[in-house]
Amino acid sequence: MASGSDEGLGFGSEDIDASSISALPTEVELLKRAWRNEKASPEILQFQEDVVTNARLQIEHMEETVEAYEEDGKDALTVSLYQMDLDRTEFLLRSYLRTRLQKIEKYMIHISKTELWNRLSKAEQNFATSCKENMENHLKQSVLSRLPYGYQDFCKQSISSEEDDMVPQPQLDTFVFCKSKKTVGSFQLDEGGDEVVDLIADDLYVLRYKSIKPLVETGQIDLV
Amino acid sequence: MAGQSDPHLSIFSAAEVEFLAEDELVKIIPNMSIDALNLICGDFGPFYPHILTEVPIWLAMALKKRGKCTIQPPDWMSLENLTQVLEAERDSPREFQPLPFHYVEISRLLFDHAREDIPDVHMVRTLVEDIRDVRFHKVESGFEEINTRTHAVKLKNLSAMEVNIVRPFFVRALQAFYKHGDPQMILQPDTASRPTNVGDRGPRRDLRPR
Amino acid sequence: MYGRTASRLVKELASNEANQLSSFNNDLVDQVIKECDEHHLELQNMMRKIQNEGLDIQTTRNADHFGSVIHHLSLSRNKRCLMAYVYNRAQIIQDLRWKVGHTLPQEIKEKLNHREVEYFKNHSDALEKYISGLDLDLTVDMVPPKDPYLKVRVLEDIGHVPLGDQSSNLAQHSIHFLKRTDAERFISLGLMEELPG
Repeated sequence: MASGSDEGLGFGSEDIDASSISALPTEVELLKRAWRNEKASPEILQFQEDVVTNARLQIEHMEETVEAYEEDGKDALTVSLYQMDLDRTEFLLRSYLRTRLQKIEKYMIHISKTELWNRLSKAEQNFATSCKENMENHLKQSVLSRLPYGYQDFCKQSISSEEDDMVPQPQLDTFVFCKSKKTVGSFQLDEGGDEVVDLIADDLYVLRYKSIKPLVETGQIDLV
Repeated sequence: MAGQSDPHLSIFSAAEVEFLAEDELVKIIPNMSIDALNLICGDFGPFYPHILTEVPIWLAMALKKRGKCTIQPPDWMSLENLTQVLEAERDSPREFQPLPFHYVEISRLLFDHAREDIPDVHMVRTLVEDIRDVRFHKVESGFEEINTRTHAVKLKNLSAMEVNIVRPFFVRALQAFYKHGDPQMILQPDTASRPTNVGDRGPRRDLRPR
Repeated sequence: MYGRTASRLVKELASNEANQLSSFNNDLVDQVIKECDEHHLELQNMMRKIQNEGLDIQTTRNADHFGSVIHHLSLSRNKRCLMAYVYNRAQIIQDLRWKVGHTLPQEIKEKLNHREVEYFKNHSDALEKYISGLDLDLTVDMVPPKDPYLKVRVLEDIGHVPLGDQSSNLAQHSIHFLKRTDAERFISLGLMEELPG
């Protein structure tokens, strides 16, 4: 990769010239990107803590601005334009957090048993723990406690199952629509190396999520 | 649950795709002065009467609705360009012409809220609709080429709304071929189709009481 | 036939319209659980028989062994169906929190059993706890925002109405620029229409 340490956010390199300053993504663009990726990815992605913190600061700041303008008797037009900008950002933030919660609600057991756990914020982890406990209790009371000995496990079909074999998990071999900002070049889609795709900047591809997962996680490719 | 088709194939609602399109920039000509706006999504203005400036579409729509500006339709929306695009779409059955990623939503928003600002609006609208139709037809024929060896599909220049509409079909078709083309499934139909029994050693002695 | 009753549970789920619930089928669930007990009893009898005959339970491949395998697999399958039934209903129930808020409408509540009602409550509490910790209500703004103001034409004479800090005369055919929240109630009553642009 030509640019090494950019964390996939499109900045962080030393040689920012005047023309690329305007190309720096704004906080809200980063939030929008996180939102799109989260919505389009079958599994939960890393919580974008900095993006969320910054968006909340900006929202707070804008709320104060709007309030101050209203008190100062600023013209109604300007106030409503600021309000609309605020509404749009708040929607993105809420929808981003909500999309994550809905994934947690769906895959709470899987998430709590895998490395996905570390992708959650502290608050999300607490939520996931309660979710899992509630679901476990509900299934125990409704079904498991009424089944014969040996068949009462929450994650295994019976004690003869060698591993967890009844945990709902996201389908990673589903296909996703994606676009890369920069040219990635030829990229291997399968382990055998029979399936190779040439990923060119700005072109749109439909690919198996599982095979481009690392590109999504490092921010080299965006889901659309 | 294993083997279950995913009901959440429609990832973005039409309203959400439109929301994204509303961030695209468009040129306006204000008819009044407004101070510069330091918005979360960027800095715009200051606005002066008759001085062309660029703003996100949502902002342009808000000003337009309040009678504060006229909107300059984007260059690609001219009769000449759209006529050319339509011809090129028809001439190249396997390619999509480059149009803005949100061309469907942008033109819809402008037709709905700023029709008097678009020269030859009826013709322009018909052209955009024709282009959409030709492109959809192409997507449909592209569908027929999907088979078990399809591991990647490149859809250069397909737009956002087009993606959103074809997504459920594409994903379902590709997944079905992928599943049925899985060599494991062909070699061991028994185990592959019943993943839930993998690792089950059968009934065990410890199931016996005492 | 083994497993047939349980498959009816799953079919019931599948035949529901997306995210619609039918009443919790206690009878069917009880029948499947009873069938599980029967499988278990048979399974134990067969294994006991193998042992009583002095055979090695790990390596024996006689009729009793294969019989026990069938009972084991049938029982596991029944369990999968029961779990799928309760789990998928629970997923629909927790989705309701986003749609109807923390109080279940009576017509939905009637379809749940008491454990499901309890589950809804517990799940709602968990969600509320997260939201209050966040200090940002996530149950609003479910769809992208629109311009908070819209242009409307009055279709029927409404007269003077206090809107915001002033009173407006909403005479027939007059055109106004109103807050969306104010206009929507009149629009839904058919007294106004939204004007494009």
